[in-house]
Amino acid sequence: MPYYDEIELGDEIGPVEKVATDEEVANFCDVWGAPKPNRFTDPDVAAKAGMPGTIVPGIMTMAMMAQLLTDWGGPGSIKDLDLVFRQPVPHNRPLTLAATITDLREEDGENLVECDILMTGTEGERYVGGKAIVVVAGR
Amino acid sequence: MHSHSVSSDDSRATVEQYVKWIQVLRKRGHTVDGIVLTEHRKFDFDKDYSDLAGQYDVLVLKGSELDTRYGHFLVYGVTQALTQAMDFSDVHMDARALMQAARRHDAIALPAHPGRFGIGLTDYIAQGESFDDVEIVELLNGGSRKGENERAEELCKSHNLLGIGGSDAHLTSHIATCMTDFKTPIKTENDLVEALLGKEFQPVWLKNVVNGAS
Repeated sequence: MPYYDEIELGDEIGPVEKVATDEEVANFCDVWGAPKPNRFTDPDVAAKAGMPGTIVPGIMTMAMMAQLLTDWGGPGSIKDLDLVFRQPVPHNRPLTLAATITDLREEDGENLVECDILMTGTEGERYVGGKAIVVVAGR
Repeated sequence: MHSHSVSSDDSRATVEQYVKWIQVLRKRGHTVDGIVLTEHRKFDFDKDYSDLAGQYDVLVLKGSELDTRYGHFLVYGVTQALTQAMDFSDVHMDARALMQAARRHDAIALPAHPGRFGIGLTDYIAQGESFDDVEIVELLNGGSRKGENERAEELCKSHNLLGIGGSDAHLTSHIATCMTDFKTPIKTENDLVEALLGKEFQPVWLKNVVNGAS
């Protein structure tokens, strides 16, 4: 985990490549208790909702993006995560997660690292994007 | 030429964050003179960014990105009279009427990301629609998927159109990924309209602009 004084504007977190498989989405929905059938695991329900196929739940997408940040900043380091869901996220396709540090500031005794965070596809699809604030330790 | 601040519902960047990020780009050797805020479906008459612009030495101009029945259109040189003539919140407006109204009111409207799959001007032309007033399109768009800017380039070649570049930034670090290099100095929205009408500009990628064009 980086110290505050080691971080510079423009530093990148990631990129990390992930795939949300059918099995992982099904497991997530079971743990979450998603009502069945649903557009996350049932192709017919997804088609009726106008989706090209089953999609990754937004809350799972958010968890994947949060993990990118906590793997970097440590458990409990996320102070804010504000995302815009721009396109449905497909199963079984490579997803690239990355963040760019855009601001560093000390506020109320905390070292705050603000970053843009983005989930993209192999064709340049911008599935989910937004802004996060992570608290990191000083020396 | 194409950016969205938090005044647009799908952006997470403030204008201050954009102009601060431009300082980062300048430190990396890139030349970025200014930005044009093109908020979705509106024009922010009440917003004044001149203090920020002065503090960070970044020109901040305002325009709009409007939804039409033929895709999104960027509008530069917006006036009160134009907003009275056209309902900026009407997502089904006729793009041809918008372009004509814009010129009547000393503004200019042009297609954004015309190569975008499903909603770009390219698809509407393929369906048989014609747009005689289009002379300039957004050739480079920083938010494009693979193939979309290439479709815009084909459109420019086949219809003898000129192109601008715009980042379509919704996040701080995406500002200026694509830009437009003008031959004449620009200080105001009116200058921008005149420069577009003068047709002396070219779209550029940020990565290709190091201590050079802007």
